[in-house]
Amino acid sequence: MQPPTTLPSASRKAESTSTARVDEPANLNSKDLYQIVSQVGEGTFGKVYKARNVISGMNVALKKIRMEQERDGFPVTAMREIKLLQSLQHNNVIRLYEMMVSQGQVHMVFQYMDHDLTGVLGQSQFTFSDANLKSLCRQMLAGLAYLHHKGVIHRDIKGSNILINNRGELKLADFGLARFFNKRRRTDYTNRVITLWYRPPELLLGGTVYGPEVDMWSAGCIMLELFTKKPVFQGADEINQLDVLYKILGTPTSQIWPGVTDMPWYELVRPKEVLRNRFREMFNKWLSPCGLDLAEGLLTYDPAKRLTAADALKSPYFMIEKPEEQMPQGLSSLEGEWHEFEHKREREKKKKKRAEGGAPQ
Amino acid sequence: MATDYWASSHHRRWIVDRHTLNNARAEDLEYATHEQLALLGVFFATVISKLGKRLGLRQRAIATSVVFFRRFYLKNSYCDTDPFLVLTACCYLASKAEETPVHLKTAIVEARSLFTGEDYNLKQFPSDNSKLAEMEFYLLDDLECDLTVYHPYRTLLAMCGKDNPPVPEDDAEAGELGKPQHDGPRYWGTGIGKLDLEEGAIQMAWFVVNDTYRSDLCLLYPPHLIAVASIFFALTLHPSSRSAVDSSLAFSSSHPPSNAGGRASHGQPKRSTVVRTGDELILFLAGLNVSMPLIASIIHEIIAMYSLWNRMSEGRADWAPQSSMQRKGKSNTSPIKQDDLVTPVALTQFVLEMRERKERDVAHPPSAKPTAINKVLERTQAAG
Repeated sequence: MQPPTTLPSASRKAESTSTARVDEPANLNSKDLYQIVSQVGEGTFGKVYKARNVISGMNVALKKIRMEQERDGFPVTAMREIKLLQSLQHNNVIRLYEMMVSQGQVHMVFQYMDHDLTGVLGQSQFTFSDANLKSLCRQMLAGLAYLHHKGVIHRDIKGSNILINNRGELKLADFGLARFFNKRRRTDYTNRVITLWYRPPELLLGGTVYGPEVDMWSAGCIMLELFTKKPVFQGADEINQLDVLYKILGTPTSQIWPGVTDMPWYELVRPKEVLRNRFREMFNKWLSPCGLDLAEGLLTYDPAKRLTAADALKSPYFMIEKPEEQMPQGLSSLEGEWHEFEHKREREKKKKKRAEGGAPQ
Repeated sequence: MATDYWASSHHRRWIVDRHTLNNARAEDLEYATHEQLALLGVFFATVISKLGKRLGLRQRAIATSVVFFRRFYLKNSYCDTDPFLVLTACCYLASKAEETPVHLKTAIVEARSLFTGEDYNLKQFPSDNSKLAEMEFYLLDDLECDLTVYHPYRTLLAMCGKDNPPVPEDDAEAGELGKPQHDGPRYWGTGIGKLDLEEGAIQMAWFVVNDTYRSDLCLLYPPHLIAVASIFFALTLHPSSRSAVDSSLAFSSSHPPSNAGGRASHGQPKRSTVVRTGDELILFLAGLNVSMPLIASIIHEIIAMYSLWNRMSEGRADWAPQSSMQRKGKSNTSPIKQDDLVTPVALTQFVLEMRERKERDVAHPPSAKPTAINKVLERTQAAG
């Protein structure tokens, strides 16, 4: 899809040199071109706004890059995200239209998406059919398959980073923690990535040598969340997170995960008791048999045996089992726009009210 | 796919023609000759390389710094800016863009100590972080946040079939943007596979690529063509590769060269004989699907750069074959002028004077001069 013609910097340049100058060229950028409508999110390193292009009338998402870290100039994470996004193009990956630099601030200009996954799963006006959920699941995996093929690990797959528009299209967003990985050689990375509830066991056990499998665990969590409507593994901290996993998936053994006992923090967080896997009995009321197989494949303890995105797309859940997937186009009838951010703000407002009413100071 | 060179901003926005380049120089040309500007071009690349090494940057990041620097001066002029601060910002930004970040403080401290030292004898250089951070911001703006730069190194290694094995300095391009995912063998031009070059010759081609950054080549030609030209240099400069090529050229003047079909079958035994694959080298280059006239002009530009570089008192390439290039270069350049700029201190002084003269002219304009110099660039970019 082509961005609106007024957006790319090249055409902005052309305007500023053309004879039919509307205004002084310096005034043609940012502030005047985009009008902020509302705040819709808080990214890894800056606020996200919904804004309208005053010329084309098209909505965009503006992500302001926080520059207050005067100590080290333009943030490396932002730079990484820009470089990554400039090199990616896929239907299930958010599109960066352009960069906007003006008046001491840098904004990333994205295509606008009406909702995020956490937001739409939390609302009650529109109910997703199983065919819709299958479509969302497949779109997420297709996006991941593309990223991994391109040598990119996302490292922060979670509900609020998965965006959905009213046409039912799903796009992965927020590449603030993403990075390129070396396909031939595994290298050490930081393990302080991925929001706790979506973090795979190898990271919780202190692993620093990892690859795209970490995203696949998060994808498994998201898949369950599509059906249950809320995050499945809600740990309170790193150690508790492992306990939560053990309670549902059982305690890992060297048989199912060779090498688990060699993980850096294994001895520190050694499970006190042996628990059995209760996954199927807990989720068979939500998922179809093939759906359960796929989710289980994604939530495999051993990273080496975990399903890859490309394999997941070929699973019977998509290829054989009914119903066939269907994009949730009914979302266009949904009133309002649903992002995790708004839910959070609602909750905070309520909390504040309660606090004010209950015990003032 | 958006990650390849052809879809990149590098190709679409940042390859310009000679005319555009000259237009971008218009303002500086009031205070310096073409030749002096070219000398400054060599000089600043040397300075960037020096600073880059102090900051512990890999060759690739240094190359990116130079490209940032050249792109910035497509829109600005030496006489209006402080090139030393600009190049420091280029190194700083490139260190982050190439995933080997250095601290702002480190960058400014190293730069200050290098520039105010006796090598350059610069009197003034900022010491506080905010100046560099501010410069980085202007730089980002003028670079239009296009931070992905393609270099000839990868093509060079790919052509030599060295995509992954140990490579000097550039320890794999981990974290590199848009690293191509090779799903099978690549074929070039006539479908002949890979170039079988001696290690020393590859090394030499690599050094030639490093040297090309002292010219404006990175603004004028796509990186893969520069890589091909550097292979040509390696074949002429590397003794044993050269003799292989020479002997098969001598041979083929009496016998027609063996055709491509035949080669595949007798390629194996040949490798073990003394006559190294001279034919193959020639056929490989001839078979590439690139414009040879373009390669020839790149080669000319590289020779011109070497002859210019030879006039500077420091930082010259000290590898032997260069002198042979030199002789060739000198014969067609004019004799050294009296006001020849040779030492780094003299060049530094010269840049400062350019700026002073410019400032004086602004204060007391001799005539009202139009300053719209960027229009051609902008139009080119808009058209691209």
